[in-house]
Amino acid sequence: MKLEILNAMSEQEIIEALGTRKEKIEIARKLKELKLPHKKSEKYRYYDIESFLHKEITLPKSGFEAKEHKNALIIENAKVIAIPKQEGVEVTFKEFSDVASNHFDSLYYLSHLLNQKAIVIRISKDSNFEIKHIVSSNEFLSYRIVLFVDSNVKAKVYESFEYCGDNLDRLLYGIDAIIARDASLDFIKNQTLNFSVEPIATNYFKLDSNATCNFLTFDFTSKSGLNIFKAELKEHAHFDATHLIYGTNSAKIGTISEIEHTEKSAKSNQDARAILNEKARGIFDALIRVTKEGIYASAHQNSKAILLNSGAYMASKPQLEIYIDDLEASHGSTTGQLDKTQLFYLRSRGINEVEARKMLILAFANSAISKIEDETIFNRVQIDFEKAYYGDTKLDCIKTCHECEENILKG
Amino acid sequence: MSKILEIKNLKAKIGNKEILKGLNLDLEEGKVHAIMGPNGAGKSTLSKAIVGHFDVEVTDGEILYKGKNIVDWEPEERALEGIFLSFQHPVEIPGVNNAYFLRTAVNAKRKHEGKEELNAAEFLRKMRSLANELGLKPELLNRSLNEGFSGGEKKRNEVLQMMMLEPNLVILDEIDSGLDIDALRAVSEGINKMKDGKRSFLVITHYSRILDYIKPDYIHVLKDGKIVKTAGAELVKELEEKGYSEFEEK
Ligand SMILES: Nc1ncnc2c1ncn2[C@@H]1O[C@H](COP(=O)(O)OP(=O)(O)O)[C@@H](O)[C@H]1O
Ligand SMILES: [Mg+2]
Repeated sequence: MKLEILNAMSEQEIIEALGTRKEKIEIARKLKELKLPHKKSEKYRYYDIESFLHKEITLPKSGFEAKEHKNALIIENAKVIAIPKQEGVEVTFKEFSDVASNHFDSLYYLSHLLNQKAIVIRISKDSNFEIKHIVSSNEFLSYRIVLFVDSNVKAKVYESFEYCGDNLDRLLYGIDAIIARDASLDFIKNQTLNFSVEPIATNYFKLDSNATCNFLTFDFTSKSGLNIFKAELKEHAHFDATHLIYGTNSAKIGTISEIEHTEKSAKSNQDARAILNEKARGIFDALIRVTKEGIYASAHQNSKAILLNSGAYMASKPQLEIYIDDLEASHGSTTGQLDKTQLFYLRSRGINEVEARKMLILAFANSAISKIEDETIFNRVQIDFEKAYYGDTKLDCIKTCHECEENILKG
Repeated sequence: MSKILEIKNLKAKIGNKEILKGLNLDLEEGKVHAIMGPNGAGKSTLSKAIVGHFDVEVTDGEILYKGKNIVDWEPEERALEGIFLSFQHPVEIPGVNNAYFLRTAVNAKRKHEGKEELNAAEFLRKMRSLANELGLKPELLNRSLNEGFSGGEKKRNEVLQMMMLEPNLVILDEIDSGLDIDALRAVSEGINKMKDGKRSFLVITHYSRILDYIKPDYIHVLKDGKIVKTAGAELVKELEEKGYSEFEEK
């Protein structure tokens, strides 16, 4: 079937068409109310969402056949094949209907309807593990993950992707992270899928009072993909989001988000950086809303893009929607080339132009990557960035990049 | 006496404005030349023209460095061949580590000269000891290049780069601006230590104080885009007394 037919259906018909449990009627209602996006939908205007939705899909089947694994939850083609063996991390596969009631994104509701069950992870002790997505199927894949971080617990999750097929269609997945009082979640996504995969993540972060969430996304790719998320902040909650994209070819990548301060004294900070080459298009459509109840808020948002090529384009739309007076807020957006004066300074010391550009681009990327506290993950992301960045400039970087040098020598 | 730099009838524009209007200047190997002149005379423009800054468009004339016209050379070629400019306003580069940058530059130059790269330990030892001589706080070596440095720290960092890169022609554009007396003394000592009878210096200033510390062999007066007078060190006194208005084009 084609997903677009859902737009014309009633809630009951949607539920029947997707073979969903009746309890999900509220979710179907939300989907019907929001409607699936099309090319004129404001938020998806710069993304080729129609090609994502208009292709035929078979209803996805998620599953659970887990064997224990030391430190990772591994999901291969929508099936959980390993779970982390850690005290205080419990993984189950079960029905889940308690979703966000006011998410802006219809794909969020769609993915909840497509999935009868969700992978539910309850974190009751300080822990640190990886969620690894392996994709090799040539079908449309969809699944949902729910993360409960209990009160006073510090959780660190590193999300990675591995592709080992040649013909993956699309991946529509997402995480509902419910972060209890005084708990904290560090969530790092590192996505460098470079084949035919098009991952769309549609997430929801709910921060109870005094909870903290650091959400970092790294997408280095020649293909398209989106980070869609909604975050809700209660009293004294603190949400910090950092996004770095490096896009080449005709990738369309970026962030569509909404962060909402629903109670007093919450803090949010969102820093988006983009490096775009060839015909890549970066997207940053991000709203921070401070409601009437959100007094004493601190809300900051910034987007910076470097275009390495005249064909590259950044669609940046940072927005603050504020219903109170007493707050500290800022937002800004810049798009441009590398700074000529900086480039000249490096060259005037004998560093050739290719190397000087490399230093400045790495510096720009590092200002996001250096927010990763864990050294191993920091190194991994940094290496992934360099790989992505040199992947398309091999010949120029032969003198400076050992990996490329070796690859070229190998033939 | 052999000349390291010969500038002949140099005309240069910034934007649409002609700043250098047929400038002639010869610099001798192993000597200290000072260029003095009022604000806006074109001193920084001249230094930028020599290093190939993108702001400056050379429209006529020649810049011969060791006998070769370098007007069309890339900035990095000029640097690798031994030209160094200490900038009047060094730029801040967040995210580029100061020591890493300097090591990259030093090794690029060594490679160009057919020498082996300095290993990390040799490099660090040399850099730290020179930074210490210049009174540059060691923690600044591990910070982002010039980011948040005070005016004086930036100038010391420029001189550190000069001392590490060991150029043949050193151009110092207003090296004393932003320096207090102690800093001026430390920086001048560093510069004087680099005099070896072969290396040439072009000290650009609109204020004679620096010339008490770095003794010039020649003084040139730059006014309205041209060198209007060349004399020995005794000219400094005269300039201090009379100012620049006395000097008109010959
Ligand atoms: N980037 C620039 N854009 C436009 N005009 C400039 C620029 N830099 C310098 N100028 C102008 O060129 C002239 C010479 O400047 P400069 O060489 O900096 O003088 P000096 O160093 O002798 O004080 C001045 O009139 C100055 O205003
Ligand atoms: Mg000047």
